[in-house]
Amino acid sequence: MGIFDKLGGKKDERPRADFSDVQSGSSTTAAEPSVPAPRPDPGPTGTSGQDQTYTVVAGDSLSKIAKLYYGDANQWHRIHEANRDQVTNPDLIHPGQRLKIP
Amino acid sequence: MRQSRRIPVSVCLALLVMTAACQSNRDSGTTGTTGSIAVRVTDVTLGRSVGGDKAITDRTDTFRPNDTIYASVATDGSANSTTLRARWTFEDGQVVDESARTIAPNNRERTEFHISKPGGWPAGKYKLEVFLDNQSVETKNFEIRGS
Repeated sequence: MGIFDKLGGKKDERPRADFSDVQSGSSTTAAEPSVPAPRPDPGPTGTSGQDQTYTVVAGDSLSKIAKLYYGDANQWHRIHEANRDQVTNPDLIHPGQRLKIP
Repeated sequence: MRQSRRIPVSVCLALLVMTAACQSNRDSGTTGTTGSIAVRVTDVTLGRSVGGDKAITDRTDTFRPNDTIYASVATDGSANSTTLRARWTFEDGQVVDESARTIAPNNRERTEFHISKPGGWPAGKYKLEVFLDNQSVETKNFEIRGS
């Protein structure tokens, strides 16, 4: 414990930035798949070993996210089930929410 | 004399078969029996804007707080369906945004991802990580500098 820790507080306890208003999008020169997209592997993403997560952006719905990941909007309830702790009303999700994708 | 003619004929036949095989590969864009060429990410660039071809027109890795940040992901290969995902993180790994796009690429394609923040980006170091079908394939570091 150095004198600077006492005087200036702990450097590591920096407040997290607020990215809840971030907006995102994408476009491509490629064609859209004509068949439902295969479900992404449920295993680890990258090197983190964690489940996939998706950050909700304005205009999203569970159906839209299900369409994105499963190629079938009717699979929205799988995402709802995996996120019961933060999504009580499946018609109400908010930009910035990070949803687990099972 | 006759025997010396047989060898060139068999060699010619072998060459003909090889040529046909190569031609078939090139025309149909297939390898093996999968009906697709493995898709790979060949380039990721960052900038402030993209053109109609989804390539970056104002390339940079240093942005201002009110910039929209574009990432152009170049792919090569063909597939009926493959998913590109962009994960943007801040400083020590705080996730800024994550979005995915499933495409059916045919040879060389470009896909752009962009993020904006109406309230302005906090200054600091950021990272973009690009995944192709859940495999991390490229990372790019960039910085937001206060105005």
